[in-house]
Amino acid sequence: MTQDDANAADIVMGDVVRLEDVLSRDSAASLCKSFFALFGLPVRVLSQEGDLLAEAHRDRPLCSYLNTLADGRHRCSQTLGEAHSVQPDSGSIVHPCFSGAVYRIVPLFHQRRPIGRFIVGPYVPIEAPSAPESLGSVESIDTGAARAHFSDMPRAREDIAEQICAHLGEVLEILVFFGHRAQLASAMQLASVRESYRELAEKSEALTESHEELKQVDKLKSTFLATVSHELRSPLTSIIGYTEMLQSGAAGALSEEQSEILKTVHGKADELLGLISSLLDLGQLESRTLDLRHEAVDPRALLSGVGSTVVPSANRRNIALDIRVSAGTPKIWGDAIRLRQIMLNLADNAIKFTHEGGQVELGAAPAQLEPGDPSGVGSGLFTANRPAVVLLVRDTGMGIAEDKLSRIFEAFYQVDGGTTRAHGGAGLGLSIVKQLVDAHGGTIEVTSKPGEGTLFTVTLPAANPDA
Amino acid sequence: MRLDLAAKELTLKLVYYGPALSGKTSNLRAIHRLASSEACGQLMTLAMKNERTLFFDMLPIAIAVGDGFRVRLKLFSVPGQLMHEATRRLVLQAADGIAFIADSRRSEASTNRESFLRLHRNLRHNGVDPARMPMVVQFNKRDLEDIRSDEELETIGARSHEPIYKAVATRGHGVMQTLHGLIRKTWLKLETDQHLEDRVGINASRSMRAIESMLGNRPEWQAP
Ligand SMILES: Nc1nc2c(ncn2[C@@H]2O[C@H](COP(=O)(O)OP(=O)(O)OP(=O)(O)O)[C@@H](O)[C@H]2O)c(=O)[nH]1
Ligand SMILES: [Mg+2]
Repeated sequence: MTQDDANAADIVMGDVVRLEDVLSRDSAASLCKSFFALFGLPVRVLSQEGDLLAEAHRDRPLCSYLNTLADGRHRCSQTLGEAHSVQPDSGSIVHPCFSGAVYRIVPLFHQRRPIGRFIVGPYVPIEAPSAPESLGSVESIDTGAARAHFSDMPRAREDIAEQICAHLGEVLEILVFFGHRAQLASAMQLASVRESYRELAEKSEALTESHEELKQVDKLKSTFLATVSHELRSPLTSIIGYTEMLQSGAAGALSEEQSEILKTVHGKADELLGLISSLLDLGQLESRTLDLRHEAVDPRALLSGVGSTVVPSANRRNIALDIRVSAGTPKIWGDAIRLRQIMLNLADNAIKFTHEGGQVELGAAPAQLEPGDPSGVGSGLFTANRPAVVLLVRDTGMGIAEDKLSRIFEAFYQVDGGTTRAHGGAGLGLSIVKQLVDAHGGTIEVTSKPGEGTLFTVTLPAANPDA
Repeated sequence: MRLDLAAKELTLKLVYYGPALSGKTSNLRAIHRLASSEACGQLMTLAMKNERTLFFDMLPIAIAVGDGFRVRLKLFSVPGQLMHEATRRLVLQAADGIAFIADSRRSEASTNRESFLRLHRNLRHNGVDPARMPMVVQFNKRDLEDIRSDEELETIGARSHEPIYKAVATRGHGVMQTLHGLIRKTWLKLETDQHLEDRVGINASRSMRAIESMLGNRPEWQAP
């Protein structure tokens, strides 16, 4: 068993074994000192094994004198040895010295177990006669000098000595109680911290494991998407190729009916190809393999490019298309092709979901981008806001119900089955837009009122002014 | 349990467990007040300024049971506040018996339950089968309003694995009965597992009598 284990077992049982561990030496020393100053009685505190823990005394002329004599020195150390090794197990013991003085040995208990003792003395009981014969029997002693020194010894009435020893014992036991309490408290604190730490480490390990698992699943999903779309795309491109060959008359002239059918096949195949490309984009975005080629993109050029692409379908449905770029809008730091994809998607949607005669507005304005990761990590708290560009797509369409708003950026989510069927699309568009915006370090928000219209706000970092 | 044959001493650890503020410390205080001072040592509390137990309370009791044998009981209370779970597990270590102190108020039912489930989990965590742990349950604070009725407790008691005691710890009612019940259950298990009588010569019923007479004071339960 190591020391630590032993301690742990003691903590658990609330036991203490050693006086030296729980009695503060400093308090014991000052207690002895004031005891000595008050009563003039020498005192020492010993551990259960007899080690000295604290003491207060002054050499007495009698003792010093006896120690100059060989026989005196011998008898003195013998007496002291005896006094130190006495182990009183219930009450105090009075141990006599040949000099006529006595030592009073008092046991100390804690939780009813002996844990040490203290020795008061040497002193001469007032009741004792003058120097005893045993003092005179020391070899080559000068009895006159010895007598004179004897009368200098501290004296005490035995009943009073007993009382003050009992009192000192109580005070020492109180010190032991509080020392033990302090020891248990700090041991418990250490053990509790250790135990909490162990628990925390265990939980954190479990979390890391499940995090790894989730990452695996996520990766699997992305590779699956990529693989599937690649595998689908090649046969599909062949179908389109062959259809085009047939249409161009490579296999002979076609009847009107055959032409019609081929046109449908071609149309449907194109649709399918578009869907697969979107899936592939999503897969790439989720596996973070999408390469963005950053450059400074002029927002006016971006919006007018997008506008000219969608204007035919707007015109067809008599929808007014406005483009507004505020003065001082900086260039966007992003991938021109992906930015066009974002805006085209939003503009397409806006037109698709707006009634005949409605309005769609594409806009750009200067803005500030809140720093930090959009996923909410507060690392950005210590950096300044970045200059940004906000791109708007506003329509006067059917709008989106509030409870659906938070989900529209999820893959395969369509506000309702009906609109999907009526307007086509697999519900991938907005999730791709969101991923593309995220990849640019931007944000996308949507506000909408059913029946009044919808506003998409894309905020993207601005390019450096000198770029 | 710790058996020191040289010193002829048997030490048992009894733990007062339960939700925050259910009256664990109050139980130990009452025992300290009611038990004979010859048997009872000093009550050690490791608490915050507001009296909430921080690490534990400990009340040492020592009783001579005859033939020079001495039984030492170490009564511990755990800190009930949720955040001290690790400390509770430590204090539970090496427990020989447990008194679960519940708050009788209806509003506290789910807190009691939660604490009880955690107790079981902590025991298992310490490698102890809760079903084999001597345990008694005390419904404390019988003096308050809106408590579970005596009839309800009877029904619970009839279904329960553990004997049930009622108490008003602050007045000392039912506290000694709970303790005696706990000691009896603990001793029974000890005798079955360790054969103290055959092996060491400690007579169970004589020891129980010695303990009960030394702890003294068994005011019967009185309705408040
Ligand atoms: N009315 C009433 N109050 C009680 C009773 N027992 C305890 N209390 C009170 O409930 C409060 C909490 O008692 P404690 O004994 O400190 O509770 P505890 O279980 O040790 O609490 P923690 O150490 O925080 O876990 C104190 O204010 C007590 O006076 C009882 O039987 N009746
Ligand atoms: Mg408490």
